[in-house]
Amino acid sequence: MPANRTSSLVGREGLGGPYFLLTFLHPETAREARPGQFVMIKAGVSAEPPLPRPFSILEASPERETFALFVKTIGPGSTALCSLPLGGVAQCLGPLGRPFTRPPDGTGAVLVGGGYGIAPFSFLGAELSRHGGAVRLFYGGRARADLPLLARLRQRLDVVPATEDGSVGAFGRVTAPLEAHLDEAKGPQRLYACGPEAMMHAVARIAAARQLEAEVSLDPWMGCGVGTCLGCVVRVQGQDDTRWKYRCACTEGPVFDAASVVWPGDTESRARHSAGGEA
Amino acid sequence: MNLAVEVAGIRLKNPLVAASGTFGYGVEYQGLIDLATLGGIVSKGLYLEPRDGAPIPRIVETPAGLLNAIGLQGIGIHAFVRDVLPRLRNHDTALLVNVCGDTVEEYAEVARVCDGAPGIAALEINISCPNVKQGGMAFGGDPRMTHAVVAAVRAATRLPVIPKLSPNVADITVFARAAEDAGADALSCINTLLGLSIDVETRLPRLGFGTGGLSGPAIRPVAVRMAWQAARAVGIPVIGVGGIASAQDALEFLVAGCHAVQIGTANFVDPGIYERVLAELVGYLERHGKSDIREIVGTLDYPGEAKESTSEPRERKIGGTA
Repeated sequence: MPANRTSSLVGREGLGGPYFLLTFLHPETAREARPGQFVMIKAGVSAEPPLPRPFSILEASPERETFALFVKTIGPGSTALCSLPLGGVAQCLGPLGRPFTRPPDGTGAVLVGGGYGIAPFSFLGAELSRHGGAVRLFYGGRARADLPLLARLRQRLDVVPATEDGSVGAFGRVTAPLEAHLDEAKGPQRLYACGPEAMMHAVARIAAARQLEAEVSLDPWMGCGVGTCLGCVVRVQGQDDTRWKYRCACTEGPVFDAASVVWPGDTESRARHSAGGEA
Repeated sequence: MNLAVEVAGIRLKNPLVAASGTFGYGVEYQGLIDLATLGGIVSKGLYLEPRDGAPIPRIVETPAGLLNAIGLQGIGIHAFVRDVLPRLRNHDTALLVNVCGDTVEEYAEVARVCDGAPGIAALEINISCPNVKQGGMAFGGDPRMTHAVVAAVRAATRLPVIPKLSPNVADITVFARAAEDAGADALSCINTLLGLSIDVETRLPRLGFGTGGLSGPAIRPVAVRMAWQAARAVGIPVIGVGGIASAQDALEFLVAGCHAVQIGTANFVDPGIYERVLAELVGYLERHGKSDIREIVGTLDYPGEAKESTSEPRERKIGGTA
């Protein structure tokens, strides 16, 4: 059961540039969080920004009653959170959402994180490794500075970096080394992706072409985090559905079967969808 | 200390009500917060049938505000009465249903269904949603239509009828009087303000529907002004709504003449806000030597207006120059 409570910042580590690792005290999230779940969190009680933000849980420590977030300061919500002093208080609701699912025994896990979309994969990678499965993590970004978790992740996972400027790892998009790996991988594989929409869409296409299962963690604007505002809906078409339906990313996701997601450009332009029923 | 108020013939144990569209059907927060801390809950808007709602994206943040075009996605009144209502009856809070319609007849029909359902305290009539093509604001933007909808609902139910007025009009008092004339028991003032936010890189509206409704602290002064105008224009109680996130904010509406208030967008930051605001309200009453929240209602000392004042004028705080 998620808990809504104030939550103090007990750790902050700058990871260079806009990247921070923040640790909050929140016993329920620490105890119950599963990889892929998120919290809704907002620093302080000021009118700005008016909405809390969803963040994937990077790590949870039941013993310390803390969870950690990997945050890039990109707007007022993330900036306010990273500006909290130690001991400062945020309003936090969590853990929320549908987590990633574990692959069947004998199926390898291939994780693909882009930019700050890497956030849930430390947690997921650790859990899958603990269960004895083969895990490989592909970590993409624009440049070395955008992969601030690389050293940390390498301590416990098999990580393949890729950067668009070639400053670390493979040169170019992360999908090239991913495809090379899948060409050579033995046995069934399941893909997990979180990052920019274009990257997740590309991973979904790769999975579909190879008839592999894939899960993606979607990141639309969210209002409430618990399915009341209906602001975060995404278009999803399950195997048994005759047309797509709006599903709340907060309660029915954020993790979805990649094959069920109707991506922008998959159908006619957005403007022509004046209602769900037209698809 | 008394925090209970009476609005439209129903007793609210305190003046804080969750606003429609920001609290789902109430059940989503079961177990997460104590629903008994709320004076009442207004359901998400309900038509006769389920609705898909507006295209995505549906929400976007703006300065101190939230612009939304959800488009009244909902499960429909029959599913609400059958599946949701039984789960809410055990909670000690007043349940109000937000009634929607594409036509006058549909509003009346939804009201009729509610009339026969136990556990509903009152109906809030949504004639002010800016995010649907039919109904909604079309009824709230024409006083004759406002009258027609409210009269039709009035005839269809014994439950108290509380139209929710639109701020997207030149003179809200015209609509407040039309609703009162048609038999409304109270008014909710206000719904969201019509807005437009543009992504200049793509030159597309940032919402899938195009325009949206603005809520949050950004609209509070507008909401207080309109609730105040409406409260002075009619004899029925007004429920103030718009940008409330603290007791201070709620008190502005009460002082302006509202008998109760609704909290909306602030639920998203902290659905447990009610407990904090109630504690702050009690603190305010104590500081001002009052024992009843109703003593605060309509106590605004407006410049230039004669008032039966028994005390010396209060020292005025000059905002912004300190």
